[in-house]
Amino acid sequence: MASTVHSDSDDGMDAFMDKFKTQRYKNAFSENDWEEEFNKIPMFMKNAPEEIDPQKYPELACLQSIIHDEDRPPEEQAKSLKDEGNAYFKEKNYQKAVVAYTAGLKKKCADQDLNAVLLTNRAASHFYLGNMRSALNDAAAAKKLKPDHLKALIRGAQCCIELRHFSEAIQWCEDGLKVHPTDKKLRELRAAADKHKRAAERDARKAKAKEKKLHGEKEALLNAIKDRGIKLVQPARAQRSGSDSEDEDERSPAAIAELSLDGLSSQEVTGAQVFVDEQGSLQWPVLFLYPEHQQSDFISAFCENSCFTDHLGVMFEELPPWDADRKYLPQNLQLYFEDEEKETLYRVDPEMSLLKILQHKRYFVKAGTPSFIVLVKGSSYCKQFLSGRKIHGLGGLLTML
Amino acid sequence: MLSDSEVAELLSFLTPSTRPDVKGQATEYILGLSGNRDGCRFLHSKPDLIAALFALTSDPSIAIVKDCYHIFINLSADETLHQVLVKDVKVVPVLFKNLLDPEYLFSDQICTILSNLTRHEKTCKILFKVLQEDVGMAQLVQIFCTEGYNKNAKLHYLGPLLSNLTQLPEARNYLMDKDRCVVQRLLPFTQYQSSVVRRGGVIGTLRNCCFDHAHHKWLLSDAVDILPFLLLPLAGPEELTEEENEGLPVDLQYLPEDKKREEDPDIRKMLLETLLLLTATKAGRQMLKEKNVYPIMREFHRWEKDAHVTAACEKLVQVLIGDEPEEGMENLMEVEIPQDVEEKLKEADAKEQEELEKEEEKRKQAEEETCSNKCTPS
Repeated sequence: MASTVHSDSDDGMDAFMDKFKTQRYKNAFSENDWEEEFNKIPMFMKNAPEEIDPQKYPELACLQSIIHDEDRPPEEQAKSLKDEGNAYFKEKNYQKAVVAYTAGLKKKCADQDLNAVLLTNRAASHFYLGNMRSALNDAAAAKKLKPDHLKALIRGAQCCIELRHFSEAIQWCEDGLKVHPTDKKLRELRAAADKHKRAAERDARKAKAKEKKLHGEKEALLNAIKDRGIKLVQPARAQRSGSDSEDEDERSPAAIAELSLDGLSSQEVTGAQVFVDEQGSLQWPVLFLYPEHQQSDFISAFCENSCFTDHLGVMFEELPPWDADRKYLPQNLQLYFEDEEKETLYRVDPEMSLLKILQHKRYFVKAGTPSFIVLVKGSSYCKQFLSGRKIHGLGGLLTML
Repeated sequence: MLSDSEVAELLSFLTPSTRPDVKGQATEYILGLSGNRDGCRFLHSKPDLIAALFALTSDPSIAIVKDCYHIFINLSADETLHQVLVKDVKVVPVLFKNLLDPEYLFSDQICTILSNLTRHEKTCKILFKVLQEDVGMAQLVQIFCTEGYNKNAKLHYLGPLLSNLTQLPEARNYLMDKDRCVVQRLLPFTQYQSSVVRRGGVIGTLRNCCFDHAHHKWLLSDAVDILPFLLLPLAGPEELTEEENEGLPVDLQYLPEDKKREEDPDIRKMLLETLLLLTATKAGRQMLKEKNVYPIMREFHRWEKDAHVTAACEKLVQVLIGDEPEEGMENLMEVEIPQDVEEKLKEADAKEQEELEKEEEKRKQAEEETCSNKCTPS
């Protein structure tokens, strides 16, 4: 019996099949764009289009309106929105996921479990967007609705860690472990948060110790200066105590409060500062000024025990390029410092040590950098410079030569 | 003691419906009895009285309840009464139930009673069983670690309770369950300033735990990280070199200049013993050496005055700076000690103890003399 039916339909089949070889069927997929076409059919879509234009994608628009039908109960709508959010989340489209979850929450459905999941998922989306605070808020809200919601607890702890609120993170973990005592993730997060917390505490202690050390060094430096009877003076402009004001630190003795650290800050932005060397001597940054040529020289570390001749000898071994007259020979140089208050110039004996000069009762170190004026003895500029000024010679008060 | 008829009369006074003043006098009388050994032994033979007293712990009068708890504290301090209390009167489940109540007024007394009941292994075992059935050790640790759990009680005596419980391997295994986070929560309490009882209890617990050398690796790992918590109470404000600092566990680096060491010498000794236990395995020794424990001990040794504690410190230092033991002896806890050697060691130990006692006495006397020299009124 089978064979007879077979032979009948076979004829029909053959003829039917033959047709395909010759005729194309209508609305066939073409070889070139069949993938594109497939992508337009909702069932075979790989990605949903960003905007659903009902003209282009009528089936899709139809499906959408079924899903988001306002007449459905809120629980169902919320669940659909959750699913939508999850789909976006999978694609890593976190912004859209947030939108979907938010819409789901807006339905205010009665299913608290669902709401907790919506919040937790939104928290996760915020987390991956880097919005830690929003993520934490959502996790906390989820926790409030369902205190045993494991994913919310884990997420909350993770957010706290990212925000570097380690104690809070530990609290989240412990709350979580109360309900899920054997959860591995919570245990690991707690250990991690604890580790971070203790490292942060160590860093704070280290910084404090460093600050203390620096403070101690500054104190020692100021004491060394004070002990030598050297007077520091702040430049008129910077009278306010600076950011490293020792007045704020209760531990600073009165001595330091007197000599504010600003007295040492170099206004000349030389970057150099007086320091105590290994032998316990002070090394000062010193400026030599040549008013005749508007030039200056800077010695970054002039030991207080050295004398001026030592340095001048080296500095003027070769005459500087600006010395057109070739007259700035070491033996011709005269040094002065200025007492601004009394408007007097004091002659400096170059054979003396820096320390002795700094200890001069009318010497005030300005901006932490001692400076000296250099003139060529007997030169016309020198005469001009000194005329009309009060001068203290090496012996005593001089009248103008 | 009392005659049978007197006992019966006393019993009749111990009902909830009795007049408060009569009740009060009865409980007061029994409290007096419980304060001495003979009284306790007498009460041991009268479980009915004890049961009645226990029922009175629910009495509306706080004064009566207080007295009753006092009685039970005294009774529980005597080991001969443990069986009666636990098996006959069955106090334990009720005590645990009340302990859980954050509003309960007498939780501190309960902790003391439980602590007393767990001192000896026999009753401890029974109690642990009840604990696991009713409350669970997790809850106990939870209550202990929650600051302000009970506004009316400090619950410090849960510390010694935990310490006593950990004489049982079952309790230790629970505390050191790798899949849970239990022992970790106890660690910060090694520094708990406000109560030496709590602190001592925690450190005793940790010391007991360290008898199980199978757990050492885990205890020393990041999952628990027990080492810094044992070292912190022994570390002082002395400045260490930058190099020494950087090698230390994080919690011990850059300690401030006002850092104080543990004040109680017994606790200091316990800490050192715990550290010594951790050196039993090769891995443990290595870890302690790596983590720069030696400089901490060096400074500690300089500071310590008590002879017993110093001896414990020296034992630890010897292991830290000594060579590794020979093949087959790497786990110091598993080494077989021949009988005669063991005896000699015991003798040496006893002698050492004697000498230490003498030294301690001398030192204390010297202190007192200098003190009295300063303290004589003019």
